[in-house]
Amino acid sequence: MRVVIAEDAAMMREGLIRLLADRGHRVCAAVADGEALLTAVAEHGPDVAVVDIRMPPTHTDEGLRAAIDIRRDHPATGVLVFSQYIEPRYAARLLEGGAAKMGYLLKDRVADVAEFTDALVRVAAGGTALDPEVVGLLLRAGRPGLDMLTLREREVLALMAEGRSNAGIAASLCISTGSVEKHVAGIFTKLDLPPSQGDNRRVLAVLHYLRS
Amino acid sequence: MSAMATDPPSVRRTLTAIAMEPFTRRARAELLYLVVAAPTGIAVPVGAVAFLIIMGFLGPGPAKPENVSFAGLAAGALVLLVLAPRLARRLGSFHRRLTARLLGERVAEPPSFRPGRGVLGRLDARLRDGAGWRAVAYLLLRVPVALLGLYAVEYWGTGLVNLSYPFWWGLFRNHPPDVHLDPVPFLTPLRSHPFHIATYPGTLLVFAAGAASLLVAPWVTRAVVLADRWLIRNLLGPGRLMQRVRDLEQTRAQAVDDSAALLRRLERDLHDGAQARLAALAMNLGLAKEKLGDDGLDQLAQIRELVEAAHQGAKDALGELRDLARGIHPPILDTGLSDALATLAVGSAIPVEVTTEIPSRPTPAIETIAYFCAAELLANAVKHSHANTITIHVAEPNGCLLLVVTDDGVGGADPARGTGLSGLAHRVGTVDGRMDIASPPGGPTRVSIRLPPHA
Repeated sequence: MRVVIAEDAAMMREGLIRLLADRGHRVCAAVADGEALLTAVAEHGPDVAVVDIRMPPTHTDEGLRAAIDIRRDHPATGVLVFSQYIEPRYAARLLEGGAAKMGYLLKDRVADVAEFTDALVRVAAGGTALDPEVVGLLLRAGRPGLDMLTLREREVLALMAEGRSNAGIAASLCISTGSVEKHVAGIFTKLDLPPSQGDNRRVLAVLHYLRS
Repeated sequence: MSAMATDPPSVRRTLTAIAMEPFTRRARAELLYLVVAAPTGIAVPVGAVAFLIIMGFLGPGPAKPENVSFAGLAAGALVLLVLAPRLARRLGSFHRRLTARLLGERVAEPPSFRPGRGVLGRLDARLRDGAGWRAVAYLLLRVPVALLGLYAVEYWGTGLVNLSYPFWWGLFRNHPPDVHLDPVPFLTPLRSHPFHIATYPGTLLVFAAGAASLLVAPWVTRAVVLADRWLIRNLLGPGRLMQRVRDLEQTRAQAVDDSAALLRRLERDLHDGAQARLAALAMNLGLAKEKLGDDGLDQLAQIRELVEAAHQGAKDALGELRDLARGIHPPILDTGLSDALATLAVGSAIPVEVTTEIPSRPTPAIETIAYFCAAELLANAVKHSHANTITIHVAEPNGCLLLVVTDDGVGGADPARGTGLSGLAHRVGTVDGRMDIASPPGGPTRVSIRLPPHA
């Protein structure tokens, strides 16, 4: 997988390069601000870009704006935005254009290397990776239909919203994929969602439900 | 002996200064001020009286001209009463601008007029407009000041005229010996009746009187101008209470902004520093953990490298957090300002001599401000002064806390340039403290900060 990194903290940038290289990915470019990121993406056409939200010159939402630009101009490139904090408003802006090929994670998540690279691969493949905190916000904003779900079903729903596959959910909850499928079917029936094939479409349906 | 050796030049300097005083820019500005300001001083009361007289004659009443109409007079007085504060405010602002322009004395504007509601409300507000009435008082008191001002102008006028006597005497007094001419009069400001002279040597006396008058003129002018400035400060300004309110509003706004800026900077420091380090550290540890998980042995070197990086990252993060915490509040300050300043001095790149005479401790807030002022001044001196030594002196004269930071560097510190010094002045201002900077080009620089014993 070919990756472009945009991160202004040198230490973090080096760490990411090392981590991704270690996992067998190719880092085409590692830059420190939004403009350089857009140039690098245009030049290398990577599978995915890892983008810090706060970068020079204003240290506010450069990365976010660059991410939205990338999605518009280079739809083949996935974007994983990561940040020290989760801002609901940023999440909303990112999800406005759909959740496909989009990720929004806390920086802390890089500590769990496997999960982080898994999320990155998912985003590159057209999926979604939302931080549990984002999903938590969406669930808390909660639609009344959520009350009908059992505790387990809510857990499964949250993991689905994060963008995980059945296997991922099963591993995370230490249950079999069979029971995950059963829970998923239950959720879709209870929430009256159209049954959708494939992880990506499923995420879209769930997010659409949660955000509407 | 040495005193005598040094005295003559300084005496000469003083004498030269006195002789040159009439030609200084300041003397000219003050003269101009008196001339420009005189008309309002005299025209206003004359105008008011004239207005009353006209109203008295025009008003309804017995048609005979020698009979003044009391109704008209009363109406005139009422109109004056209502209009006076308003007009006086206008004239007052003209005078404030004039003093600012010509004398460089900037007096803050008084609070602007707040109109009431309805006709009666407006009238009531007008009549109770304190700043307006103070301006009226100013205009009344200006009458004698303006007259004195004209008297001061007379020193200049008669001085210049008298200087001219010897030059035209020969042109007009070259009469035949037997013709007898009247003596020529000349004026000085000291006497209302003219003196007279009849001979050429007499004109030299007039010349001398003119020169004396010109030498005295700037000082008479200045005395009148000073009196006027005093009146303006006290009557045309915002008033002592309003000034105080204004100062407090300003310093409060600054304090609020400062604390917001401080918090923003803290967040930024944490975000860019410790948080980023810890994230990288967690990442390295995560990677190492996974490598240990799959099959440790052949990747031992890599794991060691990762753990080393993580170890270093943890230590760096600790250091950064420590600096940050100390920047928020140096713990040593809890034991007292003396110890804190001593610690500060030890870390300085330029030798610092600290002397403190603080018998009673100020409140923590004041100590903190004094400490951060000292730290900032020290950092400034190290950065810009090229000094060899810096001294920090803290004393407690008259119950206030006095911090003096001196360096023997190149000087030229200017609060107008750079935000450091003006930021300090703001911070000191929030507790009614004062900062004075003496930093001539070439040095030395001496910054003294006075703080009250409690905020």
